[in-house]
Amino acid sequence: MSWFTFTWQNFWYSFLALAFEGLPFVLLGSLISGAIAAFVPSKIITGLLPKNGVLATLASGLLGLCFPVCECGIVPIVRRLINKGLPVSCGVTFMLASPIVNPIVAFSTFAAFRGQAPGLNMAVRLILGYVVAVSAGLVVRQLDPASILRIGAVKIPARKRLAFSVTPLPDAETIGFEASFQGKLIAAVRMACDDFIDTAIYFMIGAAVAATFNTAVDQQIILPLSLQPMLSTFSMMAIASILTLCSTSDAFIAATFVSFPIFARMAFMVFGPMFDLKLFFLYSVLFKKRFVICLGIGLFVLIGILCSRVLIYLYAGQGL
Amino acid sequence: MRAKVCNLLNGITLIGLGAVLLDFFFTGRLDRYLHPQFRPWTLVGGILFCVAGIIYAAAKTTAECCIEGECVHQNANSLMRSMIAFSVLFVPLAAGVALSKDSYDQHAVLNRGFVEDITKLPGRTAVQPPKIANDPVIPPQALGADEDERASEPLPQNTPAPQPNQDLVPGGGTDQANPAVPSPDEGSAQYLPKAADGNVALEVTDLLYAESEDSLRKMFSDKTIEVVGQYLPGSDPKQFKLVRMFIVCCAADARPLAVPVELSAPTNVSEMGWVKVVGKAAYTKNGDRVHVVFKADSVEPTDPPAEAMLY
Repeated sequence: MSWFTFTWQNFWYSFLALAFEGLPFVLLGSLISGAIAAFVPSKIITGLLPKNGVLATLASGLLGLCFPVCECGIVPIVRRLINKGLPVSCGVTFMLASPIVNPIVAFSTFAAFRGQAPGLNMAVRLILGYVVAVSAGLVVRQLDPASILRIGAVKIPARKRLAFSVTPLPDAETIGFEASFQGKLIAAVRMACDDFIDTAIYFMIGAAVAATFNTAVDQQIILPLSLQPMLSTFSMMAIASILTLCSTSDAFIAATFVSFPIFARMAFMVFGPMFDLKLFFLYSVLFKKRFVICLGIGLFVLIGILCSRVLIYLYAGQGL
Repeated sequence: MRAKVCNLLNGITLIGLGAVLLDFFFTGRLDRYLHPQFRPWTLVGGILFCVAGIIYAAAKTTAECCIEGECVHQNANSLMRSMIAFSVLFVPLAAGVALSKDSYDQHAVLNRGFVEDITKLPGRTAVQPPKIANDPVIPPQALGADEDERASEPLPQNTPAPQPNQDLVPGGGTDQANPAVPSPDEGSAQYLPKAADGNVALEVTDLLYAESEDSLRKMFSDKTIEVVGQYLPGSDPKQFKLVRMFIVCCAADARPLAVPVELSAPTNVSEMGWVKVVGKAAYTKNGDRVHVVFKADSVEPTDPPAEAMLY
């Protein structure tokens, strides 16, 4: 039997299943994001942070619990918050943690891993995401902001490559809509729909790739990748960076890679929302290319080591 | 004008998504795609898509939705972006409605590989050690569990663990090693679900679970059993695999479960077609594992069950 046997019947079936499962969650995240954008002034977010730099970085990693935003929407928000005076280290921590450490992702992870220790996997994903994001933020705190921020980032013009980036967090009074509740509500729905359209495009592309991979490729071929802990972990992170899935629904796709060990799938779910192909371009709007590349390599190595050297024992202790 | 067209196109895209989701939900096709727990979300999502799409298309058009000069929602004003969104989001789903056959063919089943040990499936656990010696063994179907997600999961068993050197599964009769355990025929066998023609109606999962559970094997032995599944031909015309797909969340994570079937004469059934097989289950020990082979007396095409997937 060939290692690749594509049929449209299998593709449509798997693709539609992923779409039906994930799209409602992408929409839900977008609606919440739109509501926050329309109803919550960004100064509230900055006002929550402690004055101490380290504590502020630690707190930034938890902001996503109050302001859930997926990774597609986080860059414009961070850009705006940094413009308003948020420390860059806090901005990086928020940017990396928020797509994972938020209630929507917690819920979707729990739902996706139903029957596969959902509570443990949800907790591990949030804790690991938080630890990695804070670590990156503390490293950035030691750097000169001028050496990592792109020149002109404080006033970034609309660019072609931002076409599918989403979710700025405009203060309600500045966005040009009526200040009435109805006006804000319509603004929230409009922003949510724009967010959804932009993010769902990447989701659908990822679902198509995943459907092809999961039905057409003989799983015996990739079985060797899943047998060695380091290899399986870094392979799953590479797959995550190519699939460019939304963090609100990537757990559903991660759960389908059942031939890979759970810690490798966890690496998929932690690395993907922090760094993938589309985020490379989005980050480049705010940060210098050199910093973006170093950030990607650093996250790849750190998450890979944590998952293949630490999580493996945690899961083994749980019999998983 | 361009902004109005973009609004309209984006609104149509969203409404179209909602229509597809609602269509699958209300026609029942969704049942073949998602676990029951996720189906209500599709209904909610479909409604929200339609409402949001209507609001989006009907809302007053503005040049920008964000701070002046910093708007990144280019799809709000770019006709090209709106067309791409329509093409990538709506068109594939609409095509899927027309083209999807709501099932996998044999290539996907073979590519995924069969589950070797059913107790290793997500959410599946090995049989628990005995708690109370005299409790009867009752399969979940006997308690009506086939209507929910535990349909294929047997209740914790109460019989002693299989002996290491135990060979071919014995037939019915009182458990000689533990006289306190009632004979399957005398006790819980009466709870086995029956088909219309009086045969014992089991799922593929029941036969596979019995590989690791002695009491289930005893209960199934010597019974004429009826099993429904999909026909996957083998290299020998007198053998095939009876397949059911097991899902955790959706069809994308489906894993094939299969029971090998032996026939006395070749049969003519379409690949992956639904069949009803009547016969007896035989369990043989091979090394440390017990394996089931279903000796079929008859194989005939049948309609798919109400729930094509096992959960």
